[in-house]
Amino acid sequence: MNHQVRSPLRIAVLSLAFAVVTCGRGWTSDEPVLVFAAASTSDALAEIAKAYTAETKVEVTLSFAASSTLAKQIENGAPADLILSADEQWMDDLDQHHALRAGSRANLLANHLVLVAPKGKAPSPAIQVASGFDIAKAWNGRLAIADPSHVPAGIYAQAAFTELGWWDAVKDRLAPTLDVRAALRLVETGETGLGVVYATDAKTSDRIEVVALLPDDARQPIRYPVALTMNAKPRAQAFLDYLRDERASAIFTRLGFEMAPLVAPATTPAAKAPPPRANTPADPRAAH
Amino acid sequence: MLLTDEEWTVVALSARVALVSLVAMAVPGIALGWVLARRSFPGKIVVDTAVHLPLVLPPVVTGYLLLLLLGHGSAFGRWLEALGLGIAFTWRGAAVAAAVMAFPLLVRSVRLAIELVDPRLEDAVRTLGAGPLRTFATVTLPLAAPGVLAGLVVSFARGLGEFGATMTLAGNIPGQSRTLPVAIYAYSQTAHGEAEVMRLLLISLTVSILALLASELLTRRMRARSAR
Repeated sequence: MNHQVRSPLRIAVLSLAFAVVTCGRGWTSDEPVLVFAAASTSDALAEIAKAYTAETKVEVTLSFAASSTLAKQIENGAPADLILSADEQWMDDLDQHHALRAGSRANLLANHLVLVAPKGKAPSPAIQVASGFDIAKAWNGRLAIADPSHVPAGIYAQAAFTELGWWDAVKDRLAPTLDVRAALRLVETGETGLGVVYATDAKTSDRIEVVALLPDDARQPIRYPVALTMNAKPRAQAFLDYLRDERASAIFTRLGFEMAPLVAPATTPAAKAPPPRANTPADPRAAH
Repeated sequence: MLLTDEEWTVVALSARVALVSLVAMAVPGIALGWVLARRSFPGKIVVDTAVHLPLVLPPVVTGYLLLLLLGHGSAFGRWLEALGLGIAFTWRGAAVAAAVMAFPLLVRSVRLAIELVDPRLEDAVRTLGAGPLRTFATVTLPLAAPGVLAGLVVSFARGLGEFGATMTLAGNIPGQSRTLPVAIYAYSQTAHGEAEVMRLLLISLTVSILALLASELLTRRMRARSAR
């Protein structure tokens, strides 16, 4: 009987040994800076983090999701050092939960929304961005959109559509996604004929085309605030500074982001007065 | 197979998470399997139900309950955090999720394997003076070994594949909770992620098939032995 027991045991021991050996690569001695960032910033931040690590030898770990998801995770105790959110409301929410380091918050980026379609399949006749336009007839199927119940890109899109008087026509034809990149993906693969994403998302893909630019909402311009969390490691401050200096902004602007107009950092929700439409720098439309 | 550093981190993390969860659940799983196979006591059905609950609950629900229990919002979770053993949104959380989800599978196979062991053999050893622990270690466990190992293999594979509870309890943080399935889902949601998805998918498929084959072989051996 003995030999019968031994061979399954041997298999088990070997597989355990394999697992232990492969484990080693997962451990790191000094902990990297953990950055939670809006999905739309993924390409830019990946590039910036790479440059930063090359320069300083400090590792940066990036976790991308919808800003709402990230905010919830931080409120539930996720050990992030720094958050780059795609809207100010979720940042205010974090602030109210006392999850942010006081005085560290500032608006970093600005962005715009566009309507996209799979390449070569733009709706025809072309979509007119005007309140009289019958958007319902402009395309078949569903509209890919970041879930407007919580994801910033979707919230912004709903505001823009409402402003145009289009919301009622589209609200029953949504394909809501967990973050804005997933909405882009649905259009890329042709699963939906139309989608609404940030101008910067559209720039990352050559399988889609921009069919219309949505107007900015004067009351709620698209801003990306950044801040340290309450439990941020000391070394996170240096990366925050890096994000705000010209090496990072060169990468952000190359990928289509605008740097947020400089205003006094809003540290409390009360400080967020309804901003008059800040002078928009370069017209993003020129890029397309 | 050539993997990028990022993908290698994913694979290594998955192995670590599944291994830690396996080590953590092995002893309680085997003990509980034995209890359910050999003992009857009032409230057994309650224990049985509680153990099997993660098998039928939506994994998101399990993950959310674990988050309520072990997260920032609970006193216990904050106490663990103060000790530097925070669960929520760390690799420990991923391991907890994997262990809780795989536990019923382990208990089931251990229980089945032990039920197949002839109790008369145990009685015989006991009449020769062996205590319950010695009986278990020298007769029950060796005879049930293939089934127990099959259970361990399957629960290791289940741990590798855990998704819903992991996402809810631990998020999608590279090096912490971005395990194989979480990474595959994330890549499938991003532009230009096809190649990554395919490579990780192949790894996942290979490991799962190997695990099933191993457990099937072990179970056959178990049956053949009990038929003798």
